[in-house]
Amino acid sequence: MKAYWRRFHAQRLFVKLFLVMVVSTVTVSIVTSLVTIRMSERLFTETFGITNSKVLNQIRTGLESFNDSVVNAATYAAQNGTIKTYLSGGESNSVRMANTYFGMNQQMRRAKSNVDAYGVGLTAVGVNGRNYSTDRNYWPVPADRLVGHPLSQRIEKEPRRLIYQYDMERGEDGRPVPYIIASKALMERTTGYIYGNLYISMREDEFRRFYGNFTNAGNDVVIMDSTGRIVSSNQTKWIGTVSKTLLSYTESASKGEEVVRRNGEVFGRSSIILSSYIPEYDFYLVNLIDRNYAAGKIVNFRDLVLVGGLIVGAALLLVFIITRRQTRSLTVLVRQMSTVTQKDFDNYIRVTESSGYEVQELSRAYNYMLDELNDYIARLLQTQKERRNAELAALQRQINPHFLYNTLASIKILVQKGDKEAAGETINALISLLQNTISNVSETITIEHELENMRNYIFINHARYGDRIRVNVFAAPDCMQYRVPKLIIQPFIENAFFHAFNEKQSGMIYILVSQADGKLICEVSDNGDGMDSTQEWTGTDMGTSLPNPKSKRQLFSGIGVQNVHNRITLLYGDDYGVTIESRKGEGTKVKITLPLIMEDV
Amino acid sequence: MKNWKKILLPLAASALMLSACSGGGGNTETAASGGSGDAAKKEITIWAWDPNFNIAALNLAKEKYAKDHPDVTINIVENAQADIVQKLNTGLNSGTTKGLPNVVLIEDYRAQNFLQAYPDAFRDMSDKIKAEDFADYKAGPTSFDGKQYGIPFDSGVTGFYIRTDYLEQAGYTLKDVTNIDWDQFIEIGKKIKAATGKDMLTQDPNDLGTLRVMLQSAGSWYLKEDGVTPNIAGNAAFKEALELYKSMFDADIVKLNSDWSQFVAAFNSGDVASVPTGNWITPSVKAEASQSGKWAVVPIPRLKDTPNSVNASNSGGSSWYVMNVDGQDTAADFMADTFGSDAELYQELLSKIGVLGTLKAAAGGEAYEQPDEFFGGQKIYSDFAKWTTEVPKVNFGLHTYAIEDILSAEVQNYLNGSKDVDAVMNDTQAQAEAQLK
Repeated sequence: MKAYWRRFHAQRLFVKLFLVMVVSTVTVSIVTSLVTIRMSERLFTETFGITNSKVLNQIRTGLESFNDSVVNAATYAAQNGTIKTYLSGGESNSVRMANTYFGMNQQMRRAKSNVDAYGVGLTAVGVNGRNYSTDRNYWPVPADRLVGHPLSQRIEKEPRRLIYQYDMERGEDGRPVPYIIASKALMERTTGYIYGNLYISMREDEFRRFYGNFTNAGNDVVIMDSTGRIVSSNQTKWIGTVSKTLLSYTESASKGEEVVRRNGEVFGRSSIILSSYIPEYDFYLVNLIDRNYAAGKIVNFRDLVLVGGLIVGAALLLVFIITRRQTRSLTVLVRQMSTVTQKDFDNYIRVTESSGYEVQELSRAYNYMLDELNDYIARLLQTQKERRNAELAALQRQINPHFLYNTLASIKILVQKGDKEAAGETINALISLLQNTISNVSETITIEHELENMRNYIFINHARYGDRIRVNVFAAPDCMQYRVPKLIIQPFIENAFFHAFNEKQSGMIYILVSQADGKLICEVSDNGDGMDSTQEWTGTDMGTSLPNPKSKRQLFSGIGVQNVHNRITLLYGDDYGVTIESRKGEGTKVKITLPLIMEDV
Repeated sequence: MKNWKKILLPLAASALMLSACSGGGGNTETAASGGSGDAAKKEITIWAWDPNFNIAALNLAKEKYAKDHPDVTINIVENAQADIVQKLNTGLNSGTTKGLPNVVLIEDYRAQNFLQAYPDAFRDMSDKIKAEDFADYKAGPTSFDGKQYGIPFDSGVTGFYIRTDYLEQAGYTLKDVTNIDWDQFIEIGKKIKAATGKDMLTQDPNDLGTLRVMLQSAGSWYLKEDGVTPNIAGNAAFKEALELYKSMFDADIVKLNSDWSQFVAAFNSGDVASVPTGNWITPSVKAEASQSGKWAVVPIPRLKDTPNSVNASNSGGSSWYVMNVDGQDTAADFMADTFGSDAELYQELLSKIGVLGTLKAAAGGEAYEQPDEFFGGQKIYSDFAKWTTEVPKVNFGLHTYAIEDILSAEVQNYLNGSKDVDAVMNDTQAQAEAQLK
């Protein structure tokens, strides 16, 4: 869990970025899709509305021309004497009756010829109980049932009008068949005497032909009477039902407006409702456009989701890859940078091609900075080293004036004693010593020269203090040409002269020069007093164990043992330096380790 | 790597744009290809009218046929007769058989009209059925140019349905009305009207069916044997029939009706004493159960003065025709197997539906021998079957209904006395000749 958290923590930049990208990509695509869908839906319904208004007018025209035919048929029937005789005349002999019946058939056929273009049936019922039908099977309502039928009752109320009504009859197979019946009272104009009714029946499926071509799925046409009863529709299940809701959407259709457009919920569907009132019929022509279906028709949700999903997926994959690469190199960069404190400015960042331009540049800049920093530090160190070296060298090169003074005083005594030869030799030794230390400008000298200096120095000391301390020099011949810093051995000899023989009155100092393991070893050992074992000096705590060389003695140079060690390490590194072994009463052994150097650097 | 990225990003972007644009595309349906001209196609369509009679008969035949031929699909489509006539005319006129059925039912009066106008549209059934297997009078309308096209179906053989109770009230017995002529018919009618106040028969002045029955009983018709020449002026049988027709009206024994339902209502209500018409009226007569036992059927009256007139005639009736469209062989096989030869099927048709077929072989069976209690125990089907064989054969020709249209108007002139019989006949002849040229 913790590991996971850490991993997550390390990736949080990526996670954040990626989450933001995911959310925004998905949101953008969904919002875009929705807006597009909405727009196309609106456009679609707008266009639909306009087209369908025209369609409604076209249907109206069809219905009106049918009405004209019906009016013509009805007028013909109403003005026809033969028809009147048939419907109102009394019984007579067979010949007369044959004439009447024949005439009725002829006249009704003529009346029907007005509406022959449509599939209709004409039925006439007279006050004398006679009736006539052009096709009794077409509208199978028995004539006796027409008396007192709701259809007839309305005719009685409005005898002067042609009334369109809805009727339902059972077909031969018992199925209910809806009809639209245009009916009119046959009336003597002058007296107002009603001698019969004329019914022009049209099966609803015939009536549907007026608009059937204009309908399709989601686009329905409903014809409704003024009570809200649906008299005809391409949706057969609605026929005969009463829908006050739909009626309410059409109401204002009667106020001058040609086509009324409403949006509403009808038959459980959200629809666009276009309606037009047809006064001839007292019907409402209603066009219902199912919004959802229409929308579903134009928007293929499956494809949309599929394509949208694919694109979002692809985009996210790209985003994932790119973000991942960017943030990973960033994360690596951050991780590497954070170790800067642990690694002494040495943690350079790998600049890889794949990490991207920004990170590459950043890495380069960082590396450049590290370079500069390291360079600066190195230079600083170098400067310090050089300064210290210079200081030490300066110190080493100084010849203590007291030494000169003492030496010269010793020479004066020798001259006064008349020992000219000794005085001359001592002066020669001093001259040679001074020549080698002062005049020789190079930093290093060969072992040979150094030993020569040592001999001169020892000679001078012998001259001053007598020869109770004897010095033996053993140098391997193959070491003679190696170079060492000037006066590197001198301080230890001086040390041995002035400190090793305080208790013992005489002794020996050995100087050994050899090479071992690729190093030059110079040993200065004495058999003098030695030091406590605890006072053994290892070079790390310099200056504590050894007596202060500056305290009382007249040193040849101002340099101390510690300084020699420091100088060697400064010059050649930690592998080289000075070690001192000493034992109380047995003597001291100083070992100087130096590199084998042939050339003067 | 870099290039790949450069390509991919615009691609993804364009895909996004595309997705915004797509969505409106609908499916385009490819139009179905036309027929392959397969005579042995196993799916056939049949058009007929009247669900209680013809359609019911088809369903019985289909059921029987399907037992032995499970691979054949038969679609039975009901259309009004007028619709069928109109659709056939439209289809055949336009010269294409597309949308036409494999088998169609055509009334015998109209058959020649189609056969002669479009002989190629119908399949010659001579190889499948024999005309002599059917009632002789059916051969005329169903064949043309020596080829048997139609499969004769129901019989229009006529009978004289009479109310025995009214007859008794007028002092007659059934014997007095058996094998009589139309003059006697009118006399009896007068007596019955005097005794009961009921008219003898009911007529629709627009339908001259009674006139046709009279004509065919004498082997005569509106048209001559050639089927095209009007045969009215100078036709003695026609003249007698017309005079008889007027006599009926003059005797005031006719109750008028204007259509089928009024026609049926007239005898169901007991307003008329007799119905001289085709046997297909039997179910309608029997529909009024309260009159059971009060009816009898005797042979149709004959023409007294026309020597070859017999007491048997025909009214209506129709036959099946196989059309030359894909699947005609399957259709022909179906028709030949069922209506063309299956006597057993006709027994069933008679007992279950009341269809009186014209297949001679089926005229005997058990169903025909069933006495009918409604008709006082009379074996009416057996009688009808017998009369069927006696029906004189005539050629209905091409223009039966066209001439009747002219005639019915002229008959009114004759009935109301504005023209005499010769004038009516001459005028009708002249109009018919002018119109049918």
